[in-house]
Amino acid sequence: MNTQQTAQLKSSANGFARRRSERESGMRLENKHQSGKLNQNRSMNAKSPSRDRLVYLSTCLIGHPVEVRLKNGSIYSGTCHTTNVEQEFAIILKMARMTKDASYRGSKQEYVMKAPSKTLIIPGKEVAEVIAKDVPVTVAGQSNELQNERHEDILIDSSISHSRHVELDRELSPWVPDEDDPQCPGLENIFDGPWNRGWDQFETNKMLFGVKSTFDEELYTTRLEKGPRMRELEREATRIAREIEGEDTEDLHLAEERGINLGEDFDGDEEVRFSSVIRGRGLDDSGYDEDEDILLDKRNTETFGDVPASSGAKTDHLHRGTSNDSAGALLTSSVDEPQCSQSSNGSEFFQSNTYDHCRQQADDLPCKSSTSDCNGRSLYGNPEILRVAQGHDSINASIETKTVAVDGKLSKSNESQSAENSQTAGFDRGGLLADAPSVTSSVKEMPPTEPEVVYVKADGESSGVSACRQPGTFASGSDHAGATSASSHPAVSPSSSLIGSSSSENSTLNPHAKEFKFNPNAKSFTPSHSSPVRPPSPVSDGSYYFTPNVTTLPQMHGMPVGIGMGPSYSGHQHVLFNPQVAPLRSPQPYFHPSGPQYGQQMNLGHPRQVLYMPGYQPVSSSQHL
Amino acid sequence: MEGSISNSSSNEDFAVGCMLSIKTTLGDEFDGQVITFDRPSNILVLQEGSKPGPRRNIRFLKTNYIKEFSFLGQSEDPLDIKKCYIDLQSLQDREELALRQAEADAERIGVGVTTEAQGIFDALSKTLPVRWDKTSIVVMNEVRVSSPYLPENVIGGTPAANDRVKKVLELERRRLQTRP
Repeated sequence: MNTQQTAQLKSSANGFARRRSERESGMRLENKHQSGKLNQNRSMNAKSPSRDRLVYLSTCLIGHPVEVRLKNGSIYSGTCHTTNVEQEFAIILKMARMTKDASYRGSKQEYVMKAPSKTLIIPGKEVAEVIAKDVPVTVAGQSNELQNERHEDILIDSSISHSRHVELDRELSPWVPDEDDPQCPGLENIFDGPWNRGWDQFETNKMLFGVKSTFDEELYTTRLEKGPRMRELEREATRIAREIEGEDTEDLHLAEERGINLGEDFDGDEEVRFSSVIRGRGLDDSGYDEDEDILLDKRNTETFGDVPASSGAKTDHLHRGTSNDSAGALLTSSVDEPQCSQSSNGSEFFQSNTYDHCRQQADDLPCKSSTSDCNGRSLYGNPEILRVAQGHDSINASIETKTVAVDGKLSKSNESQSAENSQTAGFDRGGLLADAPSVTSSVKEMPPTEPEVVYVKADGESSGVSACRQPGTFASGSDHAGATSASSHPAVSPSSSLIGSSSSENSTLNPHAKEFKFNPNAKSFTPSHSSPVRPPSPVSDGSYYFTPNVTTLPQMHGMPVGIGMGPSYSGHQHVLFNPQVAPLRSPQPYFHPSGPQYGQQMNLGHPRQVLYMPGYQPVSSSQHL
Repeated sequence: MEGSISNSSSNEDFAVGCMLSIKTTLGDEFDGQVITFDRPSNILVLQEGSKPGPRRNIRFLKTNYIKEFSFLGQSEDPLDIKKCYIDLQSLQDREELALRQAEADAERIGVGVTTEAQGIFDALSKTLPVRWDKTSIVVMNEVRVSSPYLPENVIGGTPAANDRVKKVLELERRRLQTRP
């Protein structure tokens, strides 16, 4: 080590600016080099470990900031370039500054700064002490240091807080939690029984500051109409809520929300526990669990565009849980923006995946069912439906422009509780859903924004819509105004991307849904023989028939329930419907509008009333029910 | 200022691992643990602080400058020989890095300015882009603050910038005064 040091000294000494003792140092170095060996022998003849240590430690200093105190009291700070223990610890500093001048007698404030010296050679005789902080003495320390240094290019918090530039007003110390439970340092208490706190902020404010509040809760939320059935509905609602909230979930974040403990040895840092988006759970709809509340809002909005559906909002005051659940309804993966005519907050885009409980309201376009209300209210006394409801626009909207048989549907649905909306072919989205009994509530509400809703009959719709509203599930009274407005849209507008409208919270779209990719070449299904792809018909390719007595289709996942609509519609409509199939958990909720899939669905033994119309022709309105 | 040399002759006092409390002739007082003592050069290497770990605070002190010391106790060797390796390359890298850093730092230091001025510069640099121009502080490349760095010395720049710098300067000065 000595020789190495010597070599370093020598090389560094060359060509550098020197202080007055330069020559001295130079000489010393020369001597050193020549007599290095000699010195070495002399001082290390016993291989004294102490000397070794000294050299080792001083070598550790290289590149490290050190402070050198001279015997006259001055202090220099700089980066240690090299040291020479042989010569009484001479030291060479780079970028050195005099941080304390012993000879200066003036006040600190007036001390004049000097430029740092690029290289400063301090003879050993002058050195009294060398101080270095945080010197990595062992291997572990060294490697860390380099990494840290590299990372300094990225300004991390700790480097900022330790900045040498800024004078610290106070000593920063890392935060430590109180002695309370580290997980919940007292925060829990704040939220315990918020309703029972007995503290009225408005009163307090008024008292303290004389501020009169004009806060009216009803401005921000929908008024609950307390009718005779209120209690019953409330009970129902609470029950459902509890059920949903108590569900087991695999989703980390949901579990956390519900207070399910993960277990102490959960492997994951805070980000995983509280923040990150969990992906990779299977990007297709298979295995979608209705228990998952993950609201697809995000995805939905992306896929379908944004619809400020107020309807979605309505449900909020109802069980969130339930709404979430309905989200499960999801949208079929095939939602395609341009084609989608909106889907309101997810409501009923029924992805129909395994949505067992969901009763999707078969939504026919026109309907804006506000299922949302259903949740709580279940006028029809059918709790399940509520779930679905989220009041989102039913997928109906989805139907692509072409479809539509809207109006008939509307009225129909209204009347019949089961909205059996067969999804007409147009349901690409897979919407499906008829759900008769559950429908009760469902009147899907169409998000106001739906610009495109493709409704064939705009007018009819309006009426239909209002009709829909009738059943009055709307506790929320929310605006179905939207619906009305929506209905005014001309029918069949080729798809503005509506669908997306679902407001984020209320979306029932399936986040896992695969994006719908229109397949112009998709063969239409023919049950018995292959049928040629039909050319797109102007309108009602998507029109659908439904028979009044078709019972509710329990949720279908992924399959639009369309009754009677033969798959024989042009390829661009991806109507997939499943005439009443039992709720099934098909492994492929997303299905391509090709034949085989359909066939697969057919296996579910359920009484079906399928009306195939291979040669389906656009049906005149009169035929619509 | 040679201190008493008597101590240096008694090596036994500086056995490795000793905890000592030392007063130096320079006015320093500290406690440390002996890592090594090298008699030929009279250098005592001490480790300060008790935090175990790869990084330590180290002092190299020449025994000449020990005014007095007292023995606090005996502990084990603070240096684990087995773990002591040096990677010269990494040392050099570290040095280069430190130099780069230091050069950047040097930019921020005014030459020939008082420490007070430097303090103001540092304070301003927290929120504004500043640089030195001889003994004037140039803020945002527009506004100049010259000695003695009072609000009335703020010149130049757009009125808005000028006002801003004035304001920041006032606040910083006030802050610097209250701080000890």
